[in-house]
Amino acid sequence: MTSSSSPSRKALSKIACNRLQKELAEWQVSPPSGFKYRVSDNLQRWVIEVTGAAGTLYAGETYQLQVDFPEHYPMEAPQVIFLNPAPMHPHIYSNGHICLDILYDSWSPAMTVSSVCISILSMLSSSPAKQRPQDNDRYVRNCRNGRSPKETRWWFHDDKV
Amino acid sequence: MALHATSSRDSVRAAAEGEPEWAGDASRRPAAFYSAVFAQIEEVGWERLVSGKGDGGVSCLVFRILDDQGRNHLLEITLPMNYPSSPPCLVADVPYLPELQWSKGSRLKDVVCQFQEHLKILQDYWSIMDDIDKVLWVVDPTKPTFAMSHRCIALGDDCYLLLHVNARKPRSLPEVRFLGTDGKLDRLITNWRKYCKKWSADKKFHENLSTVLDFALPPPPSVNIEDDEQVDCGICYAKHLPIDDELGTHSGGTTDYTCENPSCSRAFHSVCLRDWLRAITTTRQSFDVLFGNCPYCSDPVAVKITDR
Repeated sequence: MTSSSSPSRKALSKIACNRLQKELAEWQVSPPSGFKYRVSDNLQRWVIEVTGAAGTLYAGETYQLQVDFPEHYPMEAPQVIFLNPAPMHPHIYSNGHICLDILYDSWSPAMTVSSVCISILSMLSSSPAKQRPQDNDRYVRNCRNGRSPKETRWWFHDDKV
Repeated sequence: MALHATSSRDSVRAAAEGEPEWAGDASRRPAAFYSAVFAQIEEVGWERLVSGKGDGGVSCLVFRILDDQGRNHLLEITLPMNYPSSPPCLVADVPYLPELQWSKGSRLKDVVCQFQEHLKILQDYWSIMDDIDKVLWVVDPTKPTFAMSHRCIALGDDCYLLLHVNARKPRSLPEVRFLGTDGKLDRLITNWRKYCKKWSADKKFHENLSTVLDFALPPPPSVNIEDDEQVDCGICYAKHLPIDDELGTHSGGTTDYTCENPSCSRAFHSVCLRDWLRAITTTRQSFDVLFGNCPYCSDPVAVKITDR
């Protein structure tokens, strides 16, 4: 497992706590297909198993997503990373960081953990090749000491995958 | 100077938008007109501009203006061909429009200022109408606009009272009409004639009404059911905000902001929407109002940042 990056985390606010309880309840009634919530009593960190969709490069493979919520969720995006080993994908770095706009600049409180998961699965499903991003080594080197992907200044350039 | 009738506005707009007229030089405005209008919009604030139509997008401008209670108003300003010699025409969802003071040096910001002053005057009227909608059993209109000054109130036993509140003097005795067949109406009409002098500008509207009719007015049907229908906020997913001193008057409050896009109509706590708008960098602030986009449909939204 990667050393989990936990930027000085503050406890969830009342509003965040209440909203997450509702999201979790909704998840348990209708989980997005292909995902499994790993039961835990920590509302602030969810670990979710994702299984690659049939007919895609990742069919039958299972990966783990770790979702950490900031104090003022949903005013801020959750931090979402793949736990080691992260899938080989042109937008997923070997340290688990995901280059996906909705996790950073394009986050909106209209989104949910469930909708984020679906976006990630769709990103996996549309992958043309199992390969790392071109700048993987440089990026991962710069991210040592468990830096959060939310501190990265992402440049979203590829809208095909 | 008095306002132009609405019909004249339509003809101006038709002239501005009609293709053949557009092609002809006769109706084209001088270049100086556009630069003047742009400068004047700048003075009002671009973030307040909701839309611009006709004649290069400047002859019919819609501005968003918030009043003291945070109500959202849209002010449509149409600029006639000979603007600024002739004053612009205004359209807005208000019971009556202000008498526009217009002189040679007047600008769009003067129109907006005068409209804002007008909204101030109307605050008392709207708080009375809000009170009626909250306390009395209003059967029509179910979704009143800011301009509607009538309310049909159920009195029980198939009797109704049609109220007309004078927007210029909202605290004065309203015009009423009684509807229904029950014998009860005769008594109420008699009471009205007998006691209407007891109407007092210092008392609450519904108290006055009960006194003058000498009748206990029924409340809206089961307030509790209404609370069940109260919708969740699209941001925090709760009906009620937490009970928290930090939230001041909003503590425990229900959703109080609805996206104006009719195909969205998402409800929010203005506190949540404000916190979201504050959290992102694309939000713009003008005085004490934050301008941004609905997190669901991306249509423009605006919230006050003041009241805690």
